Amino acid sequence: MRKELLKNFVDMNEVEAVSIAKALVETDGGPVAVLETCKEAMEEVGRLFEAGEYFLSELIAAGDIFNQIMAFTLPKLQQGDVSSIGTMVLGTVQGDVHNIGKDIFKVMAEASGIHVIDIGIDVPHEKFVEAIKEHQPDIVGMCCLITLGVDSMKQTVEVIKEAGLRDGIKIIIGGGRVSEAVMEHVGADAWADDAARGVRLSKELLA
Amino acid sequence: MTVKDPQSLAEEREARFFGAMELKATDRVPFTGLGGDIVAAYGGISNAEYTFDYDLQRQATVKYLRDFPSDLPASGGAGIGNIFLSLAFLDFPDLSTSIAFTTGPYNDVLGVKFCRFPGRELPDNSSMQYLGGAYMEPKEYDELIADPVKFSYEKIVPRTSTNLENLSSPTALATMARLGIEMAKHRASSRALGKELAALGYPSVVRGLGWAPLDYIGDQLRDIPNLVLDLRRHPDKVKAAVEALMEPLLKMSLMYKDVGAKYIFIPLHLNEYLSPKLYNEFFWPTLKEIILKLFEAGLKSQVFFEGWQDPHLETILELPAGWGVAYFEKTDVRKAKKLLQGHTCIMGGIDVSDIISSTPAKLDQYVKELFAEMMPGGGFIFSPNIGYLPRETPIENVRAVYEAVEKYGKY
Repeated sequence: MRKELLKNFVDMNEVEAVSIAKALVETDGGPVAVLETCKEAMEEVGRLFEAGEYFLSELIAAGDIFNQIMAFTLPKLQQGDVSSIGTMVLGTVQGDVHNIGKDIFKVMAEASGIHVIDIGIDVPHEKFVEAIKEHQPDIVGMCCLITLGVDSMKQTVEVIKEAGLRDGIKIIIGGGRVSEAVMEHVGADAWADDAARGVRLSKELLA
Repeated sequence: MTVKDPQSLAEEREARFFGAMELKATDRVPFTGLGGDIVAAYGGISNAEYTFDYDLQRQATVKYLRDFPSDLPASGGAGIGNIFLSLAFLDFPDLSTSIAFTTGPYNDVLGVKFCRFPGRELPDNSSMQYLGGAYMEPKEYDELIADPVKFSYEKIVPRTSTNLENLSSPTALATMARLGIEMAKHRASSRALGKELAALGYPSVVRGLGWAPLDYIGDQLRDIPNLVLDLRRHPDKVKAAVEALMEPLLKMSLMYKDVGAKYIFIPLHLNEYLSPKLYNEFFWPTLKEIILKLFEAGLKSQVFFEGWQDPHLETILELPAGWGVAYFEKTDVRKAKKLLQGHTCIMGGIDVSDIISSTPAKLDQYVKELFAEMMPGGGFIFSPNIGYLPRETPIENVRAVYEAVEKYGKY
């Protein structure tokens, strides 16, 4: 059943994938098997995206299948079944109210084993600082869609530095406006203009 | 150096722009200028003041365009494109063509739920933003298909515009009357600005607006994440809906001809989201038909291919040579030129993020190298990949780009 689930998930057969997962989750050791298979499927979807075979619509569809399956799988998991490779505080920076990119990234990051704390959109610089203090993340993800976001990310990084929190964390920036040059300008550690690359680089930063 | 009279200068600039559109090399690479929030910042006013005070907006625009001359007048944001209102009032061309952009003052009157403006929902120096959202359920596709105009008017307008929630209420009637008053103010201000810009030698170029049918569904009816799921869950309905939307959206764009439009701007959003299979099945056929029909009616299109258009680049060759302008955001214009030279005018060339984060010397060198590749054969319009520079853009970087155009752009 795991193979079938994996194949149907990766092929975007939503109805079949969800129905197989529903059956599998009821078997002995099923919840863990479903979780692991879905994570594997999301990783494969990300790989296909980076290879140019899948597109944003497939990432969104995959995220939707993942969320549907997790809705009935997570309550059946025991503590300790879900391992995390690190914690990320994630938000769209101050002045920018967009969420599509952040939300696509978030589900893929969670599927890859990153514990994501989503602090929302239009997040004031200080709120990033507070969230870092509270959640002690390994990595901070900042998103922006509009051009205003570039300097907003730079200011956020500066405020994090002023608070003396920069050294202990990695920062990845993401969204339509980021590039290598913007990463340097902002003072981040990595950049990604798509979710699959973002997750791959986040995992590298956490390694 | 002789100073040209404003009228000759305007004619020269217009000829440069439209010459490139005709795939020619004229005297210099046409340059659209670098607009956005930088215009307000340079004028010493907040984005909120720029958005809501017509006099301050005009003064800032004129100051910027005097100091940073380009072939078309760059400006701060005009407003947020809202096709649902234009479509709802399709049978009233004077109204329909005037409300395609929701300006800040219009939004004060209408209360459009997915628009956010500085000085209102956002801080004074934030940029105006479009939020999206789902305003239609999947079960309503049949209603949309049966009559897209009626559906926009009866269902989408009340759901998206706070002050038009009940179309027969005094609030709604007062709102439409107030919208008329605001439009008159806006027109008066535009005329005053036009006069000042004419004195500075800027041509008056009217641009109409168009929409790809699938983008209307994604942007204003279902929201993009829902629509991409609809493509898999309700493919036949979505296909019937884009086909039903084609005629009214074409009619909408054709109306701009009567108000003097010389070309139609069609900003795309979903192109980047779709695989070639989905693009060719749901997105491109009706968009292509609209571009072809506009071309037959004597209107070229200027299509903004948002994000990466690379997987769909070759579909542009299905259009007749000289159909219009392909404006690229992330797709490399050099790569596009190799494929489209002699067929399509290419627009774009510099990443806004680079203008924000680079240095004058690097920008100068970049423009020099870009032009060396893009100029031969003509048919190239230089423009930022997104026409929206933030307030914080270093002004010396802005200046460097304008100077580089003069230095390296002459044929």
